[in-house]
Amino acid sequence: MIQLILQQGVSKELVNFPHILEFAHRKNSTIQLNSFSSNVMECICLYYILDGKFDWVIDGQLHTLYPGDFAVVLPGQRIGGESDVLNIGTLYWVKLMVDDSGKLLIGKWSGLNKGEKLAVNQILLLNKRQLVLKLKEAHNLMQSLHAELRNEEVGFCTRVNQLLDELFILISRQLIRQNNSRRDFPQAFLKLEQALRQELEHQWTVDEMAAITGMGTTAFTEKVKNYSGFSPLNYLINIRITEAIKLLKRSEVNVTDIALKMGFYSSQHFSTTFKRFTGYTPSEFRKNNRSQD
Amino acid sequence: MNCIITIELGTNAARVFAFDLSGNLIGSAKGHYPTFHDKPDHSEQDPEQMFITMLYVLKNLLNDKVYPKKYTVSCICFSASMHSLLAVDKDGVPLGNSITWSDNRGKKEAADLKASPMGSEIYSATGTPIHPMSSLIKIAWMKNNQPEKFSRTSKFMPIKSYIIQQLSGACVIDYSIASATGLMNIRNLTWDANALDFAGITAEKLPDLVPVFYSDFVLKKEYQKALRLSPTVKILVGSSDGCLATLGAGVWENGKATITIEDSGAFRVIGNEIIDDPRQQIFNYVLTDKHFVSGGPTSNGGVIFEWFTKQFGDFKNAFDIDYAMDALIREASEVPVGSDGLLFLPYLHGERAPIWNANARGCYFGINIRHDRKHFIRATIEGILYEMYSIGKTLEKHGQINSLSINGSFASIPLCTQAIADIFNMPVSTLTQGDSIGVGAFLLSATEMGMFRGLKEASGMVKMHHTFYPKISDHQVYSDYFKVFESLISKIGDEFDAVSNLQQKYSN
Repeated sequence: MIQLILQQGVSKELVNFPHILEFAHRKNSTIQLNSFSSNVMECICLYYILDGKFDWVIDGQLHTLYPGDFAVVLPGQRIGGESDVLNIGTLYWVKLMVDDSGKLLIGKWSGLNKGEKLAVNQILLLNKRQLVLKLKEAHNLMQSLHAELRNEEVGFCTRVNQLLDELFILISRQLIRQNNSRRDFPQAFLKLEQALRQELEHQWTVDEMAAITGMGTTAFTEKVKNYSGFSPLNYLINIRITEAIKLLKRSEVNVTDIALKMGFYSSQHFSTTFKRFTGYTPSEFRKNNRSQD
Repeated sequence: MNCIITIELGTNAARVFAFDLSGNLIGSAKGHYPTFHDKPDHSEQDPEQMFITMLYVLKNLLNDKVYPKKYTVSCICFSASMHSLLAVDKDGVPLGNSITWSDNRGKKEAADLKASPMGSEIYSATGTPIHPMSSLIKIAWMKNNQPEKFSRTSKFMPIKSYIIQQLSGACVIDYSIASATGLMNIRNLTWDANALDFAGITAEKLPDLVPVFYSDFVLKKEYQKALRLSPTVKILVGSSDGCLATLGAGVWENGKATITIEDSGAFRVIGNEIIDDPRQQIFNYVLTDKHFVSGGPTSNGGVIFEWFTKQFGDFKNAFDIDYAMDALIREASEVPVGSDGLLFLPYLHGERAPIWNANARGCYFGINIRHDRKHFIRATIEGILYEMYSIGKTLEKHGQINSLSINGSFASIPLCTQAIADIFNMPVSTLTQGDSIGVGAFLLSATEMGMFRGLKEASGMVKMHHTFYPKISDHQVYSDYFKVFESLISKIGDEFDAVSNLQQKYSN
C-alpha cells in the first residue's frame, strides 16, 4: 500500500473527522537529525510498527519496538526517538483529539456507551506506565482505517469511527489480559483496591470496577461478594469511610471537604452513610477521637 | 433465646459467628481486608479498615441472621491473629498501619538477638521463638529504623487491643495474645524485663495484661445503639486464633494434638507444662494460667499448593481456582503413595518451625525420566505434609501423641487427611464444625458463663466428624521417603543461604 500522511486542516480526507488530528502510513528509509524529537503530547497517539526496529523514549523509559508492537501515548506523556531520530522502518500512526471537556479520552465521535467509555478511560489511565503492547490484531484495523480514509466509499464516516472504537476495545482487552493472569483473584482484587484508593473522589460504577479486573459485571459482582463479603459498591464505601476516619482523627480538613474528597455527593450523604457504618455522625466522631498532635 | 457472638480478626478477613447456647451455628459472615506490601518484607494492614469491616460484618450478621430469629446477644468474644503490632499516639490515634505476623522487616534484629546469649534467655522466658514475626522484634526494628515514630508512640498494641479500645475505651491485652508478643514472661504473666529492655520500652508503653476470661468492659453507647445491643452484653477479651483453634479442635492433654493447614499451618498440643526446648523450635502460648498451647508454625501450608495451582493448574474460567485445584487433586490421586520417589521441599516462603530459617527455599528432588506432571502435583502435596510431620516429630520428643484432629481447608481435603494419617501412622479426625477458632471462642464464652465446669469439659464437647485410619503399608513408604526428606534439609543448609543471598543480590 502506498504511503499516506493526512493532517487535520490540510487534508480534505479528514474534514468529516475533526477528532482525527493525524493519520499516517509512513515508510522511513533515511535517518535524519531531529526527525522525531521528544515532545509532550496533547492528544492520544497510537503507533503500530509494520517493519524495522524503533528505539523510542516514552515517558522517560526506553522501549524497543518491533513489528507487531503497538504504542499508546496519552495526553501529558512525552515521546520521542532515542537521540531524537526516527529509525528506518514502516509504521502507522493515528493522533486523536481528546474530548472537549478534557475529562474523557474518547470523544463524542465514539459509538461506545457512557459506561464503556469510562471503563476504557480507566484502563488506559491505570496502565499508562506500560502502554507498549504486542498487538498483531491491530494490523488489520490500521489497514482498514487507511483504506476507508482513502477510498471514501459509502458509509465510510461511520466505518472509520467504528474502526477507532474497535481499536480502543482491542487495546483495553489486551492491557487487561497482559496485566491480569486471570488466575490470581486476590492479586486482581488488590489492584482494584489500589485503583479505588487512588481516586476515591471519582464516581465509580460497578462496570468500571469490573473492567479493571477484566471480568464481566455479573461475574465480577458475584466474585467480589464471595471473596470479600461486600458488594463492590459497599466495598468502595468501606474504603471511603476508612479514609474519612483517618482524616477526621488527624487533620484540620472540615467535614464537608472530607465528604467531597471521599466521593460523597454532599456532607448530608456522607453524614448518613458514616453514621450507618460507625454509629456516629462525622462531627461526633471527630469530637471523641481527634488527635491533639 | 440467648446467643453468643464470636469475632475473629484473622489474617485476611474479619469472621463473625453466632452460636446458640448449645453450640449450634446460627449464622456467620466475613469481611475481607487487604494486606499491603509496600516494600519487600513488609506486610501491613489498615487498622481503621479492619475496624470498619468488623463493624459492618457484625452489624449485618445481627440484622440478617440473629435478630430476625429472635435471639438476644448475651456475650461477644474476640479472637485474633497473633503477632500484629500497631503504634498509637497519646490520643490513641494510629501512627500508620498495623504490621502483620508475616512481616519480615526485623530479620536483622532477630538474627542478632538469636545469636546472643540473651536470645535463649528471652525465648525461654517468653515462650516465643526469636523471629521477625514477634512484636518484640518489630518494636526493636522501629527503635532502630524509625526513631521519630518510635518516640511519638504512646502505646504499642496488637490489632485486637485497638479494636476493643475503639469499642469500649479500655486498653487491655489478653495473656494469649500477649504471650505471642515475645515480651511477656509466661511463668509469672508479667512483661519480661529483659525483653522490654531489648525492645527499648517500659511496661507503660504496653496495654494492661488480663486473663482470657476478662470481661470488665462496657460497649460505648453509640455502638450499643448502632448494633442494637444491650448495655449489659458481656464483652469477653478472648484469646488468640492459635489457642482457640486448638481448644476448638477438642484437644486437651491426653496425647491429643491438632494440625491446622490453611495458607500457613501449625501443629499444636495443650498441656499444663511449658516445653522448654533447648533448640528453641517450639512456641508456648498461654491459654490460662495453668494451660499452655505448645507447637510449631509452618509458613508453607496451603499457600504453596495455591502457588502450584496458579502456575500449572487448568483455569477453565477466569479466576476459578477451586475448579483448578480440584482437578489437580484428582490427578494427584492417580499417583502412588510416595510419588514414585519424587520429593519436594516446600520452603517457598522460607520456613519457621522446625528449622526457623528465613533463607530456606523450595526444591524438587529425585526426578527421573518416568515422572510426569501428576507426580509433581502429588509430590507438592506430600512435601507440605512431610513438613508438618517434621514439626510433629519435634513435639513428640516432649510427650507422646496418639491421635490427631485436623482443621483448615487444605488439611481437610480427603486426600490430604488420609496422607496425614498414613504419614503420622495414627488416626486423624475431621471436625463437625469447620471453623475451630469460632468454636474455641464459643467454648471459652460458654465456660465463662458457667455452662461448663472448665475448659477441659468444654473441649470434650467438640464432636469429631469422620476418622481416617492409617494404612501400615503406606506408612512404610512415606516413612522411608521421609528419611531422605529430613536428611536433604540438614545437608543443604549452606546452599539455602547461598541461593537466597544471590536472589536478594540480583533482584531489584
